[in-house]
Amino acid sequence: MAGWVTIAKWEVLRSKQKFDIRSTVFLSVALAMLFLAAFAATNTNMSMDQNIYRVVITDPYLQPMIDADQRFDIMIADEQDERTILAYDTELLIIGRDVYVKDTEKGTAAADALKRTLKNYREIVLTSYNDINNSHPVWITVHYMERSENFQIMSGERRDIEQTGSPGTTPGMDPAGTSDSETLAGVTTREGERIRSVDDLQKIGEQAFFEKQTIATPSFFSPPIPFTAILYSFLFIFPIYFVSQFYSSTIMDERTNKKCELVLVAPLHGRDIVIGKTMPYLVTIMLTLAAVTFYIKGIPGSMAEILTVLQILATVFPIVLLFLSLSFFSAILARSFKDLTFAMVFLSVVITGYLFFPAMFANVHTISTISPMTLVVHLIEGNDVRMAEYVFSTLPFYLISITVYAFGTFIFREEDLFTQKPLTEKVLDTIERFLTYPAGSIFLLSIIFIPFVYMTQLMLIVMLFNLPLPYSILGMIILAAFVEELVKSIGILTLVKRKMVILTPKSTIRLAVLAGGGFFVGEKLISLITLSAIASSAFGSVMTLGALLLIPLLLHVCTVLVVVSGLYVKNTRWYQPLVLLASLLHGLYNLYLLRGIIYG
Amino acid sequence: MAKRKGRSRTIQTIAKKEYRELMHERTFVLSVIIQLFIASFSTFLVIGLTSFYDPMAMGDIDIKGTRIAIIESNNSDLYSFIENSGITPLPYADFTRASSAFYDRRVDAILLVSDGPPDGHDLINIDLYLPRSDIKATLVSMQLKEPLEEFEQTVRDIRTKRLDGYTPLDINFIDDKQQTSSTYFEFIYVALLPLLMFTPAFISGGLVIDLITEEFEKKTIDLLLVAPVSLLDVINGKVLLTAIIAPIQSLAWMLLLMANDIVIHNPIQILALVLVISFVLVLVSSIISVWFRERGVGQLYYSLVLIAMFLASYLFTNSPLNLVTRLSLQSISVPESVGWIVLYTMIALVLYAMLHRSIGKYNKL
Repeated sequence: MAGWVTIAKWEVLRSKQKFDIRSTVFLSVALAMLFLAAFAATNTNMSMDQNIYRVVITDPYLQPMIDADQRFDIMIADEQDERTILAYDTELLIIGRDVYVKDTEKGTAAADALKRTLKNYREIVLTSYNDINNSHPVWITVHYMERSENFQIMSGERRDIEQTGSPGTTPGMDPAGTSDSETLAGVTTREGERIRSVDDLQKIGEQAFFEKQTIATPSFFSPPIPFTAILYSFLFIFPIYFVSQFYSSTIMDERTNKKCELVLVAPLHGRDIVIGKTMPYLVTIMLTLAAVTFYIKGIPGSMAEILTVLQILATVFPIVLLFLSLSFFSAILARSFKDLTFAMVFLSVVITGYLFFPAMFANVHTISTISPMTLVVHLIEGNDVRMAEYVFSTLPFYLISITVYAFGTFIFREEDLFTQKPLTEKVLDTIERFLTYPAGSIFLLSIIFIPFVYMTQLMLIVMLFNLPLPYSILGMIILAAFVEELVKSIGILTLVKRKMVILTPKSTIRLAVLAGGGFFVGEKLISLITLSAIASSAFGSVMTLGALLLIPLLLHVCTVLVVVSGLYVKNTRWYQPLVLLASLLHGLYNLYLLRGIIYG
Repeated sequence: MAKRKGRSRTIQTIAKKEYRELMHERTFVLSVIIQLFIASFSTFLVIGLTSFYDPMAMGDIDIKGTRIAIIESNNSDLYSFIENSGITPLPYADFTRASSAFYDRRVDAILLVSDGPPDGHDLINIDLYLPRSDIKATLVSMQLKEPLEEFEQTVRDIRTKRLDGYTPLDINFIDDKQQTSSTYFEFIYVALLPLLMFTPAFISGGLVIDLITEEFEKKTIDLLLVAPVSLLDVINGKVLLTAIIAPIQSLAWMLLLMANDIVIHNPIQILALVLVISFVLVLVSSIISVWFRERGVGQLYYSLVLIAMFLASYLFTNSPLNLVTRLSLQSISVPESVGWIVLYTMIALVLYAMLHRSIGKYNKL
C-alpha cells in the first residue's frame, strides 16, 4: 500500500472528529437556512432596489401599474392640494396623465425606469388578449452565421450556422451545418409557415436565463449577453471555495503546535504526505461538483450525456487544482490564521475574477475562451469544445498548480513548517531547493515562472482598466515590467544570498544570460501554444513584433544584467531598488515600442 | 465603578494589541487590495455592460459606421426608422447578394422582412442574421432594438384597434430631455455602493474568527487567563477592534466614490449602519468561534451564515443593503431610517448577550 493512502485515511478519520453532534446539527441548520434563503430569494424575484424612486400620483388608476415595480415608492395626493404635492419633493410627479420629471440624475433615471415599467405593463395587457396576430404582430428570429474574424483565437470553422431550435420554426428552415451562402438563398420562399402563439411569448420570458434568445418580439428583444455564466461560475466556485478553506485549515493545523512532526519523522516522502492530505479534499470537491453538474444538466441518460458530464468535470478540474494548490502554499507560508484568511480571500477573489469576467461574454467573443468557465458554459448549452480550446484555457491552470504544489512540497519540512521565518525567506527556500536539484537551473526557473507572469498580467489588465486611458497603459507597462523583472532575477538573488554562487564578472554575465534567455524562450513557447492563431492580426503583431526577435532577447538579458551587476558591486540589500531600476528601463523600452498606440 | 473602568481599560489594551499585530503583519494590505479589486472589477463590468445596454451612453463609439443589409419586397416604415436611428440600411434584392456582402464585411447584419402589410392579418416575420461570436452582433442588435420597437408600434397602432376594448395608455412626459438609461445609475447605487460599504464588515467577521480560534488552537488562551484578564475581556477587545475598523474602511471608499463625482447622501447614517452591521457580523462569528474553537469549522459556518444573510436581505425593504441604497439616494425619511438602524442595533445587543452567555459556559468548564 502506498504511503499516501495511509495519510489520506488518517486525514478522513481526523476530519470526521471535527464534526461532533453539535457541529453536525449546526451545519444542517446553517445549510437549511441557506437553502431556504436561496429558494425565497429566487422565487420572489426580488432585488435590492426596493423603493429607490419616489413618485407622487394624483390618479389612483395608475397605482397598480407602477406598484408592480418595486423600485417605486408611491404616494397618492389630491390633484387640487398643491401644497402637499410640492411638500413631498419627489423625483416624479404625475398629475393626471402628465409626468413631471425632476431635473436631476436620479430624476432622469426614475423617468427611464418608469418608461420601462409602463412598457412591461403594456405587454402584459396585450398578452392577456390572446390574439397574437393583432397584439404582437412583429416577430424577430435571430440566426447566427459564422464569419471569419479580424481578431480570433481559434482558427477556422468553430461552429457553423446555428439556426434556432425554437418550437415555432419549421424544420425545413434549418440550413444547419453549412456556412455556404448558396444554401441560404432559398430561405425567403418559406416564410409565413411559422405559427406563433401566446405560449411562445411566455417562453421568451422563461428561456431568458438558460438559453440564448432566438425568437422574440421587438419589445422583448434583448442583445446576446449571457448572464448564465455568472450563475454557473458561482455554483461551481462556492463548493471549491468552502472545501479549500477547510483544506488550508488542516494544513495550517499541522503547523500549529507541531502536530505534523510525527508524520515527518515517519519513513515517508514529503510528497506522500502532501498527496495523502490533499486526496480526500480533491475527491470531495469533485464529487460535489459532479452533483452540481447533475443539478444543472439532469441525470445523464445516454452515453453522450455521460460524456458531456465528464467533459464538464474535466474542465473544472484544473480550477479545483489551482484553488487547492494555492491554499496549500498559503497555508505553508502563513504566519498566523489571519494571514491565511487574507491570502485565501484575496486569491479566491482574484481567481473568481479571472474565471468569471471573460465567461460573461461567453457567446459574444472568442477571446472569452481564456477562462475555462466559458467552456463549461458552452458544454452546458450543448455545444462541443475542441481539444485546442481545452488546452488553451486550462494549460495555465495546470502549469501553475503543478508548479505551486512542487514548490510547496520542497519546503514541507520541519525547518520551514514550524519556525517563524519571514515570508521572503520561505520563498527563497523553495527556490533554493529547486536550484539544488540536478535538473534545476536559473534557465528553467525563468521558464517555469512564465504562466505566473501571464496570469498576473491578465489580472493587472482588469485592475488597471479603471484608470483613465494614458495612465492605465503607463501603469500596465511599468507593473508588467516589474513582474517580469522580479521573476527573472529572484533565482539569482537566491543563489547569491544563499552563497550558492560567488559572483565574478564572468558569472554575472553568465547568470544574466541564463535568466534572460530562459524567460525569452518561455515567453515564445507560451505565445506559440496560445497565441499562434492571432499572430496574423493586429494584436498578434504587437505581441510578437515580427523581425525584432533578437531585440527582446537582448532586452531581457540586459535588464537582468542591471540587477545582477548591481548585486555584484553592492550587496543583496540593494535588490529591491535594483529591480525597480530594471523595471523602469524595461518599461521605457516597451513605452518606446508602443509609442504609436499611446500618442498616435 | 472603579472596577468597571479597569475593565474597559483591559478591553482597550487587548484591542490595541490586536491592532498592532494587524498592522505589523502586512497582510492587512491584501484586504485593502481585495476591496480595490472588487471596486475596479465592478467598474470594468459596468462600463462593459452599459456599452451593451445603450451604446449611446458610451458616446464615443462610432455607430454611424454600422451598415446592415435589408431585404424587403415592399417598402415598409422599418427602413426609415433604421435610417433615423443612425445605422445605414442598404437595400438588397435577394439573400444571396446580401449574404455575400455579409461575408465580405460590407454589412454586419442582414434583416429579412416578410411580405405582410401592417394592416394585414398575418404575423410579420423578421429574420435577423448576425455574425457569430462577434462583438458586432451585440452592438447591432442593441442599435436595432429601437427602430424595431418603433416599427412594432406602427403596426400595433393599426392592429390593436381590432382588440376588444383596448386603449393604449397615454402618459406624457413633460419636458423630457433625458437620453440616458437608468441601468448605470442603478448599478452604482443598488449594487456597487452597498457592496463596497459592507465588504469591510464581511472581512471583519472572518478576521475575528481567526483572532479567537488562534488563541484556542495555539492554547495561548490559557496563558492569557492566568493574567488578570477574563476571557470576556479578551474577546470583547477583539470584537471591538474588528468591528470598528470596518466603518473606517467604508469611509475611505465613500471618499473615493465622492471624488469620482458620485453623490452620496446621509454619509453619517450610512457609516452608523455599517458599524452596527459590522458588530452584528463580528458577534455572530465570535459566537461561532467560542462554540467550535476551530478555524476551519468556524470559517465554514461563518461563510454559510453570511451567504444566507446576504440572500435574506433580498427579501425585504430596508434590509441593510437596501437601506444603504435608499439613504445614499435620499429616498427615505429620517424617522424610517433611524428606526431601522435602531432595530439592527437591538439585534446586535441580543447577539452580544448570547456571546456573553456562551463565554460564561466556557468559564465554567
